[in-house]
Amino acid sequence: MSALICEVVYRGIFQKNLASRITRGIVLSARKSGRWGIAFGRYGDSPQRNGIPAKDFAIVADTKEELEQNMARYEPKHVDVTICVDDTLAKGVESWAWYGLQPINRLTLPNGTLLMTSLQPFEDLLRDIHKKDEPYTLAVIRARASFSGLWVYKEDHTEVRILGALAKIAPEFLTLDGVCQAIGEMEWGSELKVASVRKAYERLEARQIQPGEGNAEVPYAFELPRWWEMREGVTIPAIPIGKPKEGGKGYVPERNPYFKKFTTRTMRPVVDFDTCVKCNLCWIACPDSCFDVMPDGTFDANMEACCGCGVCEAVCPVESCITMVNEAVFEDNASQWDMWRKDKTAYKTWLTDKITNKKATVRSHGFRFRGQYEEEIKTDLDAGGAEITAGIPGENAKHKTI
Amino acid sequence: MPETTFTNATQVLEAFKGIKKVTIEEYFTSGHRTCQGCESALVMKLMVKAAGPRTIVLGSTGCMYVANTTYYTTPWVVPWMHTQLGSSGAAALGTAAGLKALMRKGKMKSEPINVIAFCGDGGGADMGLNGISATLTHKEYNSLILLYDNESYANTDIQLSGLTPYGAHTTFSPPGSVKRLIHTRWKKNVAGMLAAGHTECRYVATVCASFAVEMMNKVRRALTIGGPTFIHSLDPCPKGWDYDPMLSHDLGELAIETGIFPLYEVDDGLLKYYGKTKAIVEGRKRKPVREYLLKQGRFAHFTEEDLAYFQAKVDEMWEKWEIPGVVPFKRLEAAKAALEVK
Repeated sequence: MSALICEVVYRGIFQKNLASRITRGIVLSARKSGRWGIAFGRYGDSPQRNGIPAKDFAIVADTKEELEQNMARYEPKHVDVTICVDDTLAKGVESWAWYGLQPINRLTLPNGTLLMTSLQPFEDLLRDIHKKDEPYTLAVIRARASFSGLWVYKEDHTEVRILGALAKIAPEFLTLDGVCQAIGEMEWGSELKVASVRKAYERLEARQIQPGEGNAEVPYAFELPRWWEMREGVTIPAIPIGKPKEGGKGYVPERNPYFKKFTTRTMRPVVDFDTCVKCNLCWIACPDSCFDVMPDGTFDANMEACCGCGVCEAVCPVESCITMVNEAVFEDNASQWDMWRKDKTAYKTWLTDKITNKKATVRSHGFRFRGQYEEEIKTDLDAGGAEITAGIPGENAKHKTI
Repeated sequence: MPETTFTNATQVLEAFKGIKKVTIEEYFTSGHRTCQGCESALVMKLMVKAAGPRTIVLGSTGCMYVANTTYYTTPWVVPWMHTQLGSSGAAALGTAAGLKALMRKGKMKSEPINVIAFCGDGGGADMGLNGISATLTHKEYNSLILLYDNESYANTDIQLSGLTPYGAHTTFSPPGSVKRLIHTRWKKNVAGMLAAGHTECRYVATVCASFAVEMMNKVRRALTIGGPTFIHSLDPCPKGWDYDPMLSHDLGELAIETGIFPLYEVDDGLLKYYGKTKAIVEGRKRKPVREYLLKQGRFAHFTEEDLAYFQAKVDEMWEKWEIPGVVPFKRLEAAKAALEVK
């Protein structure tokens, strides 16, 4: 008796439909491969929020009894395959139902597989993915993260490419023919999608990761009180008011110490302090109060609080003063203002390098106008990615064309 | 004459004269589990920024309860308490009355404390409407009820509410190939209804956080006029409306510029339009509703026919209503004239 346990780690809402298609596809492919399967979400992730990491699970087993045994678990403690459908999640996950940073490969069993969609080379991914004490395989499908919303789905074949890759990773549970047959019969299947399954099967890239290989950072964790330690009426202390930045000037708010929110971020604002006109608009419009007020009247986006919505870029009246840049190109959460104050020339070079990297300023966060997804998918399914519009067409797309 | 045993003393909170004069401190801070680009979280931040530190906030169930205060953590700097889904009215009134009693009995220092209860569109305009209505008749207690309207039960993954706009895609109204539009009811006019029906409520306003300073000044006015007050805020919701979170601010502006959501205040019985709505009343052309609707995935299934119907309903609101954007019925003469034209 044996079973294949898979988890899909995805961006809440943006990839909710994608994740449920993947897990459902696993179950239906299992049936066509002569196995049994079940798919379910993690109870603690609901209600989902845009961008906040979430998880779905799928289990495939040889027999019904084996499947039932696995179904009895509230949530799998270990998985054979971790499927990660956005490579910025490689930095770690602080999900809705979790306190502290959870490495992306935390549940991956020894000799298991971490399957990702990414355009980054293995070396870059391993700078983000936390190290493990046991070996595992890192498998990559070359694709951009597929984001859509709750109601309008982007048919860029990501779900079937994941299934094709799984047939390569675990052929004893999901056969390539079984997957192709299931996709062919699915209401969202097609001949073209079956072709994508086969291509993904052939082109999957994989690398053995040795113990200790990867990001050496120790993930942060919080101690929360047990129920018997809570105060009367389950009251909790309010957050203190915050302090001036330095020399009695500026202002830095205190923040919720138990939830940092930055793993929600897929893009971060990069601020040009030299062109800032101190209009206060980013500061007032930020739903997450992430802008600290600096003594000189400029605003520094706090990278532990910012969840990368991009509203600051949208409201900023100065061109290229705030630019959203893909999270994958950053190494840490250091203060941009401190960097700028220390060495203005070096900061300018750093900033220019980030904001002129056209690939990193591409935005894929869901619906912006009717017909957008059709436009985006016109390109090569061969290379495995859809071309994505940079910026908001008709608004700020002009100076951001790739 | 009944003996007056109360005073409606409030705090002194003057209107902010421009964005540079806004309070620098945050009373609702970072570390809440809301969506990227959540305008309702922004409304919470601006609401208490305007109200200041001597404020008690009561939150009925909804996104702004569940996402903000997950298991033993909080982003609130001011005291905050959860109340049940339909209870924002009762919680506001009870807290205001409780404070007053404690102060009268000398059990706490006598000082004006702001009491704000917030509710979502489901909690406020559907199940909590009776409680809000009752509270707005209790003129001896100072409180503000703020309805943050993201046009669905957004917390539980987007079910239809009484404030969901015509034709929108929700979990309860998925467009299909046989029937395209499942939700065909027009949105309730909450602020207009409450202003018209509560003659002793001294302040009712509509706001949108895209116009942050004006929004905060309406909150300040509501907290200082005395007695129970009500504010209706329209909050773009990237999750339920299905759009790039970056567009949150822009969609708020578009809702006003298209005339779909009018900005006004009824201040001691006097109706004042403000901001871009004032410009519309004074003759500026409204933007076509399609500019607003087709940026949202929840309207992606709309055909030209649906867009035309939506536009006609909004036109009617500005061209046919007795008080444009606020009061829908017509006087007898106007109604007769309309019939004759037909």
